Formats: sequence, structure tokens, C-alpha cells
Amino acid sequence: MAYPYAHEKEVRVLSKHFGEPEARTVEGWKARGGYEALKKALEMSPDEVIEIVKNSGLRGRGGAGFPTGLKWSFMPKDSGKPHYLLCNADESEPGTFKDREILRWTPHQLIEGCLIAAYAIRAQHVYIYCRGEFFEASAVLARAIEEAYEAGLCGEDILGSGTRIDVSIHLGAGAYICGEETGLMNSLEGRRGQPRVKPPFPAAVGAFGMPTTINNVETLSAVGHIVKHGADWYRQWGTEKSPGTKLFCVSGHVRKPGNYELPLGFPLRELIEDVCGGMRDGRALKAVIPGGSSVPILSAEECEACTLDYEGVIEAGSMLGCASVIVMDETTDIVHQVRRMAQFYAHESCGQCTPCREGSAWVTKILQRIEEGRGCEEDLDTLMEVTEQMTGTTICVLSDSVAAPVQSSIRKFRDEYLALIRRGERVGAA
Amino acid sequence: MSGEIPFRNPGWAGNTGEFDLTEDQVRGRDYAGARPLEGGHPAGAAGYPYMLAEKHPEAPLFEGPYKERFEKLKSRYPDLRAALLPTLNLAQEVRGYISPETMDEVAALLDLSPAYVRGVVTFYTMYNKRPVGRYLVQVCTNISCNLCGAEDVLNAFLRYTDTELGETSADGNFTVIEAECLAGCGFPTCVQINSEYYENLTAQDVPDLLEALKARAGGAGAAAGAEAQTEAEED
Ligand SMILES: Cc1cc2nc3c(=O)[nH]c(=O)nc-3n(C[C@H](O)[C@H](O)[C@H](O)COP(=O)(O)O)c2cc1C
Ligand code: SF4
Ligand code: FES
Repeated sequence: MAYPYAHEKEVRVLSKHFGEPEARTVEGWKARGGYEALKKALEMSPDEVIEIVKNSGLRGRGGAGFPTGLKWSFMPKDSGKPHYLLCNADESEPGTFKDREILRWTPHQLIEGCLIAAYAIRAQHVYIYCRGEFFEASAVLARAIEEAYEAGLCGEDILGSGTRIDVSIHLGAGAYICGEETGLMNSLEGRRGQPRVKPPFPAAVGAFGMPTTINNVETLSAVGHIVKHGADWYRQWGTEKSPGTKLFCVSGHVRKPGNYELPLGFPLRELIEDVCGGMRDGRALKAVIPGGSSVPILSAEECEACTLDYEGVIEAGSMLGCASVIVMDETTDIVHQVRRMAQFYAHESCGQCTPCREGSAWVTKILQRIEEGRGCEEDLDTLMEVTEQMTGTTICVLSDSVAAPVQSSIRKFRDEYLALIRRGERVGAA
Repeated sequence: MSGEIPFRNPGWAGNTGEFDLTEDQVRGRDYAGARPLEGGHPAGAAGYPYMLAEKHPEAPLFEGPYKERFEKLKSRYPDLRAALLPTLNLAQEVRGYISPETMDEVAALLDLSPAYVRGVVTFYTMYNKRPVGRYLVQVCTNISCNLCGAEDVLNAFLRYTDTELGETSADGNFTVIEAECLAGCGFPTCVQINSEYYENLTAQDVPDLLEALKARAGGAGAAAGAEAQTEAEED
């Protein structure tokens, strides 16, 4: 049983057991070496666990790439208050589809990582916040958590260590903004999922007003492997600043889209040409969004030398985000796709900040007008100006996410906008 | 079960036709099984579909196993307010949508004001504010799916159900809406129908899929049989 689109260049740490139904069970997971890391962690002190994760250089896989061990070390040591660990399984960034695969194929990998992280930050309760659409995935996760309780891996006195950690699933109800860490906290508390003003930061005042750490599913899933094999083992892959492996979600016009686990720093060209079997129908590459719809678009030339680590993608002119690589061929109507993305953000803006609420709606309207052939050249300046004012002026970065595709596409594909404005010519229209 | 769904590797790695798992294995049903309505362990009591084919807009909040599940959900949080989303999910599971009366009842159950609950319900798109058909069809038209023909798939659903966006078909079976990214972007077009994902769908697949769903709905014991995950199959 192999993953149909496996590739020999992959380094499969997290995805090793995708596609094996037996790996879902607690017994199956133990037979694959699971829960050894938890045992090992419980024999160490919480600070020693944090130290290993720090040394491994693991960075958050939810988008920002913040060093995980450092984030954990912000948690107070003896606050006397309950601490919480939140696992961000809201996965809603367009182009991203890795966390769902972890949840549904290797739920115990995630549970084990959550338990270790909770132990390290001295949390008694873990809430796994799944986006509301993940019915199938959360049913699998629910069963796995039940098994973990039955096996004495969760709850009071885990593995006879005297440590108590509870794990619960919390389902959202359809709102992209609940993926933002403080929006998620509000949503967990039964409120509208609107982001909070920071500071105070979650490590001081988080969920239910208590010290809280929040990590992505993929981040927490890596923790077990790191604790089990050590920081140096993890550093054998990737670059100095971006160590380890990462799930790359490749979608769009490639022959073999899917999740590929590769060392960070992998060349983008090679990912498309070799690992994903090249462009569909032998067409030419036009543009790539390397990190989900919130990051700037790269033109084909910019992709040439781009390596997929946090620093490499910044150098190429974009961001790695959650490594959601959206590939577009020469037939792509860029204006149409950018309009669709802007429409998404207009729909998902939580409405607290004026630049974001008004800006995203107006940007969408202007793009729509251009798309329909009713635009004028000044519209492009207006778009640049409005999105400029939407950057860095709001509570969360959703507003900046509107600016990224709009500004980068106007800079790099101005001709396409102009063709539509001047002659109503669309790319790829039959 | 009547009504064969055209099964095309939903959920992973594209339609290569090379792999040998059953639909239940891919969906995880063989492992999660027929989960009990009362929720099993409190920790996992939320891990359920809350969009079922058969719903009863007048059903009580909550009785029998649903009451048990409600109690379990409440037990997991340090305060009552945090149980609001799971409780609304449960109410939608039973009644199919969240009416103003439902909001009032949920508010009373959790000791919140009706206006507060209304504010929360309107924030989240998954709460149906109006009744929907037996099958709520959500077609992702976001970027990755859009690049691969999602708009054709959406139009095919509308054409074959003879509806406009958001409208319920005359036979009460289908409501088709546009969805934002469903996290199945590598397997376009990704469509969610009630609690299940269908991936790699093309416009050509739509008529067969709709027929199969209709057969399911009209099949024996339609009331209980439709949603394998929660009901029926345990015997
Ligand atoms: C608008 C917005 C949406 C986000 N959505 C997600 C998401 O769906 N999943 C996720 O893991 N992180 C998301 N994030 C990032 C989180 O805020 C947070 O940085 C992350 O969960 C931290 O985990 P990490 O350190 O493990 O990456 C989002 C951020 C923003 C601003
Ligand atoms: S930037 Fe937008 S989404 Fe973020 S808090 Fe402000 S209004 Fe809400
Ligand atoms: S873009 Fe359609 S599922 Fe993500």
C-alpha cells in the first residue's frame, strides 16, 4: 500500500503512515513506535522537553514560522493558574490541505504531540479546534481520543506519571478568521471569532483568561518525533534556519497534485517539474503562489531560483506561509483569480477594523469592474493605494493578506489588467 | 445501501485509480464506526456530523441520547458560554437549521441572552439560518478548485437540480451553495455534501452523483439510513 503519488525524493516523517488504516488505532500506532516519545518526555522535566524542541529549531507550521520552543518558553513556570494548549486545526487558508490528512490518517501522532506539548507548558487541558467542515476527520480523531483515554494515555495520571492532561475536540462553524490565534480563542469561549488586540499575548492572557499556547496540527505532530530521536536528528534535514521536513500542499495545474513531505530548502522548480510530474498538458508555467492565498504571487522567472525554506521564499519575493504551493499555467486568468481571492477575504473579514472591512469590499468591487471590462487605468492606482492603507493598520493580518495578491499581481501582471481595461481581452477565455 | 456513489478516491492523492482502499477506509468510517448518538466519551462528543439528511424542525432540545450528549459537551469547559458552539451544532443536527426560536431556546439552556446568541449565530456561515434540503451541497470555488474547473461543477449542480444558488429543489432534496476553501485543494473540485467530502469531481460526475443521492434518500428506511456515520448500521 503506497501513497499513490509518493516520490523517492520525499522524506516521510509525518506522512510515513498516511494511507494505512491500521495506523489509526492506538495499537497500530504503538506498533509503529508511537507513544514511546510520550513516555520519554514524561521522564524528563518540562523544561528539558522545551530545550529539545528549541534545539531542534522547529518552527510553527501554521503560517508565521515562529520558533516553537521559544514560544513554549514564554509560558509562566508557576503561575498557579490553569494553563491551556490549543491545537489549531482550523485549516482554512486557500491552498492548504495538510492538517486534514494528519487528522484522518494519523490521529495518534497528533494526540501524542499534544500531550507532550501540554506537559512541557504545564497545561492540564488541550482543546483541538477543528474547522466545522471536518466531520469525517473529527470523527476519526474523536475515536482516537477515546482509545487514548481507554489506554490511560489521556486523563488523570497518564502512564502512571501522576500528570493529568485532558484532550477535547472543539468544532468551529465556518469562519476563516477563527484560524487566527486570538480569534480562535474567542470562538472556543463561545463568542464571535473576532481577533483580540495584542498585547496581552496569549502566554499571559489567553483562552478563558489563562496562560495559553497555540500551535498548528503539523507543528505538534512533529514534536513526538523530535523528542524521540533528538534535536540533531531533526536537523539533518532542511537548512540552518529552517530545519526539518515540511508537508508541501501542491495544487493547481500540475500533473500530480497532493501532499509531499520534503526537507525545507527544496527547490521550487524541482518540486513542480520532478516531484509533481510537471505541468498539466505540457503547458508553460505562468505563476506560483508559494504559501497559500495570503502571500504574494511569484512570476515564472521568480520561481527559477526559489528554494522552499522560510528565508528562500522571502528572498524570491514572497513568503512560505503554510507551504501551500498553488501552481498556475499560461491559460490562467490572473485578474479573475485575484478577484476570487479578494472576494474570499471580503467575505471572511470579521468587520472590526475599518481598513479591512471597507477595503476588502471595495477592492473586490473594483476588481469585478475591471474583470467585466468596465475598468479604467486609474483603477490600478486606486487598488495600490487602498491596499497600501490596508497594510499594517489593523488588529490582525487578514487585511494585509488582501494586499499581497492584489499588489503583487498588479506589479507582475500589469499587462493583463491593461488588456482587460483597454480592449476587454481576457486570458484563457475561449 | 442503495445508490452507488461514483467513488473516485475521495479524500486523497487524486484520481489515479491505483489504490486499493475501500471508501469506508478512506473516509475513516471503518475505524470511527457507527458512533453512538449520546457521544461516547465527553472528550470526543463533538466529533460528529451535524448535518443530517433527515431533520425535524420541531424536535425538542434535547431529549434522550441528545440530552446526554449535551450534558457531556457542557462538562468539558471551565464555563458554560464555551459550550455555545457545540450546542448550536447539536441543535442544527436535530433541527436542520437555527431559527430565531432555536436561538432563544439555546440561550435559555446556557444562561445567555437571546441577543448574544443571535450575534454569534450570524457570525458563522455553517449555521443555516433557513431550512435547507436533505442534502446541502457546498461547492468550493476558491482558487485551487477554481483553477481546475470548479465553476463548471457548480453550474452543473445548479443545472441538474434545477435551482438557483441557495434555493431548495422542488423535491426537497438539494440546496446548492458556493463554499470557500474546504481544505481539499489538491483534489479539485472539492464538494461537501452534508457531512461528507467528494473530491476530484468534474461536471460530468454530477448527474450520477445526484441520482445516487436521490436513491439513498428515497431508499428503505430513509429516515434513519441516510447518514451511515451516526445511524442505522450498528446491527
Ligand atoms: C487570518 C489568519 C488565519 C489563520 N489561519 C490559520 C489556520 O487555519 N491554521 C493555523 O494553524 N494557523 C492559522 N493562522 C496562524 C495562527 O494565528 C497561529 O500563528 C498559528 O496557529 C500558530 O501555530 P504555529 O506556531 O504552530 O504555527 C492564521 C492567522 C491569520 C492571521
Ligand atoms: S484585520 Fe480584518 S479580520 Fe482582522 S481583526 Fe481587523 S477586521 Fe477582523
Ligand atoms: S480551494 Fe477548493 S478546497 Fe481549497
